[in-house]
Amino acid sequence: MSARHEILQRVRAGVGKATYAARRAAAEASLRAPLRGPQPSIGDDLVARFQDKALSLASSIERISDPAALPGAIKRFLAAGGLPGQAVVSADLASLDWLGSGLEVAVRPAVDADRVGISSCFCAIAETGTLMLLSGAETPATVSLLPETHIALVPRARIVATMEDAFALLRAERGGLPRAINFISGPSRTGDIEQTIVLGAHGPCRVHLILSGESL
Amino acid sequence: MAAAKHSQAMFFQARAGEKIRNKVLQKALQKAKPLFVGKRAKAIAALPDDGFEFEALRTACVDIRNRVLGDLDVWLELFEERARATGAEVLWARDGDEICELVIDVARRHGVTKATKSKSMLSEEARLNEALAAAGIRPVETDLGEYIIQLAGETPSHIIAPAVHKTIDEVEALFAEEHGRPIESRTSADIPAMTREAREVLRQHFLSAEMGITGANFLIAETGSAALVTNEGNGRMVTTLPKVHVVITGIEKIVPTLEDFATLMRLLPRSATGQSISNYVSLLTGTKQPGDGEGPEKTVFILVDNGRANLLGSAYQEMLRCIRCGACMNHCPVYFSLGGHAYGWVYPGPMGAVLTPLYTGIENALDLPHASTGCNQCASVCPVRIPLPDLMHRLREEQVERGLRPWSESWALKAWAWLAGKPALYRWVVRRVSRYLQWLADADGRIHILGLAPGWSVGRDLHVPAGRTFHELYAARKRA
Repeated sequence: MSARHEILQRVRAGVGKATYAARRAAAEASLRAPLRGPQPSIGDDLVARFQDKALSLASSIERISDPAALPGAIKRFLAAGGLPGQAVVSADLASLDWLGSGLEVAVRPAVDADRVGISSCFCAIAETGTLMLLSGAETPATVSLLPETHIALVPRARIVATMEDAFALLRAERGGLPRAINFISGPSRTGDIEQTIVLGAHGPCRVHLILSGESL
Repeated sequence: MAAAKHSQAMFFQARAGEKIRNKVLQKALQKAKPLFVGKRAKAIAALPDDGFEFEALRTACVDIRNRVLGDLDVWLELFEERARATGAEVLWARDGDEICELVIDVARRHGVTKATKSKSMLSEEARLNEALAAAGIRPVETDLGEYIIQLAGETPSHIIAPAVHKTIDEVEALFAEEHGRPIESRTSADIPAMTREAREVLRQHFLSAEMGITGANFLIAETGSAALVTNEGNGRMVTTLPKVHVVITGIEKIVPTLEDFATLMRLLPRSATGQSISNYVSLLTGTKQPGDGEGPEKTVFILVDNGRANLLGSAYQEMLRCIRCGACMNHCPVYFSLGGHAYGWVYPGPMGAVLTPLYTGIENALDLPHASTGCNQCASVCPVRIPLPDLMHRLREEQVERGLRPWSESWALKAWAWLAGKPALYRWVVRRVSRYLQWLADADGRIHILGLAPGWSVGRDLHVPAGRTFHELYAARKRA
């Protein structure tokens, strides 16, 4: 007997219900109309909430009014921090005027030698100060993972309240799931040596968020 | 049971004594406990700030887990179909040996010589690292804590903080040897530099491994995805860089929808580390897609039973709700007196005291259901309301029913029952015992060696009882 068959037989015996077809139909119906659990009450100012939470997770934040100002803002941020002026940029941001800013950027997935990665995000979640990134040809996951510094553009209009709202947006705008959905909440961290928190375990040790768009 | 051959759980008592006398271990545990407890307490206390009630969130989490377990056959088949539709392969393993066979087979098919691993307790159940090494495939643990204990040749002593028993000096000695440098004197100010050192070594492994092995915190039936929750980012590395991704996970880990996952994520990190969310939460679906410049070409799910299916429909089914947050051990006085290794198998603390006998055989872990003070803290913090002390009691009852208790214990209980049925004799005996204990005590009122049960007084003293028995005092008061 195959392992699959034997395990499913044991599970069926343990579940102890005969009505497979009806239970299967009910399960599929519940997937078509997913229900939310308890939802937070976090007020209407999602941008302020997002900022507060992101700051508490050790990210830094600045605001620009127009995404076109992104290359210049990044140039200043890197210079102020004594960080290198070379960066890898995800393809969906390639059309910005990087050359004019004086930054030296490469548009491709990141490699080990890259020190700065610049990405967009699919959306951001106010409840927890979290970015939601989707992997894809234009948005490689390594850009937010391998470099020590990750800089992300967060359009204010893309800040939603909860993870559930982010999933709703995903279902509305995309057909299916990408290989990886990454929820990122601040720099990589570990506490595995004597419970002492250290930033920059394997992923970025610095996350800088640039909020774009006019405030209402 | 196949898992029993690797279990050391029958040596719990011998190990407990050894762990209590280990001053280095005791120092590490005393440092960790208030941090674990304090961080969770703060996170749970802050829930009302966001309009949440802990009990309402718990109820929602319990409902999700019960819903899945009540129709697990349906959910498993739904998950399997949807995962296959995304291009992943779905395999099944009855036990740890089958996990090892399947992983090695996948590795051979893809010419794998090195596998990077993100923390997976199921791979500990299977002793996968040993099997991989024997097959000529190098396993590299990449969670910093797991890396430390892999260097030490040990097993995890905690399910979310595997190296909680290691002090900085021990870690320094391991790093110096593995990284080929002299041992330096280290203080906590050096921990960032030590973390950096491990990061640089492990980065090269991430880039060169052909296979990434992970567990899954949850499997999502709706989308056929694995959910992976990490803080370090190692989970992202091993699921992004190697060409093959293998997910090893228990059959009970399914949740129906993305919404259900979002609900569970409100309690998992808070219960585990006191974080409102872990740094990286990834949902991994299928393989790299057309046009993707990175990501695995092959994704394999291994759905594992290893004793789980037997709990369905049993008195222990509630244990399958467990989401592996570690809160029960973080709040357990027994765990923090002994550390995790005393428990002798993969899972320590209250959840281990229930799971180890159930997965490896009740007769192979007789002491574990007794490794409890009955304080109930584990049940009161459990995000999915598993009645851990009740399950331990049930296991104790089963030991008695199956005649697994020592003859002296049943004899003593029968003798007591006989005695308790004869009030006059009972009072006379209790008076004598009370006087005897007073005679044993030293000037401070402590008994160092308990005459009839000397084993009991190894490592603790007994306070001498009050001068007279309850009956004597009661009679005296009535006269007065």
